[in-house]
Amino acid sequence: MPGLTIDLTIYDDEEALLAGLRRREPDACACLIKRFAPLVYAQALRLLGDADEAEGALQQTFIKACDKLDTYEGRSGLGSWLYRIATNEALMLLRQRSPRVAIDHVADTIQADEIPQHLTPWTLDPAAAALNSELRATLEQALMTLPETLRIVFVLRDLQGLSTEETAAMLGLGESAVKVRLHRARLRLRELLSTYMQEH
Amino acid sequence: MTCEEVIAHLSSYLDHEMDAALAAEMQEHIAQCRNCRVVLDTTQRLIVLLHDEGRHIIPMGERSALFDRLQQAFLNRPPASDSNTTV
Repeated sequence: MPGLTIDLTIYDDEEALLAGLRRREPDACACLIKRFAPLVYAQALRLLGDADEAEGALQQTFIKACDKLDTYEGRSGLGSWLYRIATNEALMLLRQRSPRVAIDHVADTIQADEIPQHLTPWTLDPAAAALNSELRATLEQALMTLPETLRIVFVLRDLQGLSTEETAAMLGLGESAVKVRLHRARLRLRELLSTYMQEH
Repeated sequence: MTCEEVIAHLSSYLDHEMDAALAAEMQEHIAQCRNCRVVLDTTQRLIVLLHDEGRHIIPMGERSALFDRLQQAFLNRPPASDSNTTV
């Protein structure tokens, strides 16, 4: 069995990779995992907030991808396709964890503790900043302190880049609820990160 | 427009999901209100910052056993009906 120390350039485009996967070439399989598993894991972890559950979602994602590979048409790109499967897996786990409550019930207005308190400008220019590991850890930590209901919407909209409509459909929510939750998540994150941003 | 109204509509403004008349009112308030200007600017920076972070992986550490399981799942999947492969 080939390990993961393979030459990734042998499948340098998705078409070649997909053809290799459909021929069940072990190196193609290793390449797919090496290229996409860390991204899928990151997505699952951000949604679930639990490393073990994220690992389970990652495994299920690749098993489901196996099952669907022969019918995959390649319109959305392998990464987007895997992301979508992973998101559905993670959402299913969240619903199992707290049936119908966590995702569906949340106040759809700004809460008192979300009114901006930090009113000092940030000096960091995000477009120019090379994010260091400390800032990355701070960002991820702040994300994990968000209530699940807000974090899920934030991850799908602002991190994964889904539209309001796509996010609403995926979560079974109205678009206005998605907008309010995204707004609340942004305000909370801004507060959480303001102290760090003012000190660096 | 009050500061509270500006804060309530901030994301709609940043996402360009606001009608022009309301956006003009926002701009008028923000031009005169330093605090709302700071909140708008920092929220905008946050969105850019975290959008970039979304493309960053989280180190998985020592998870070679997981990689092996994933690989086995792929390789052991049942053959496709139209497949000519032998693996």
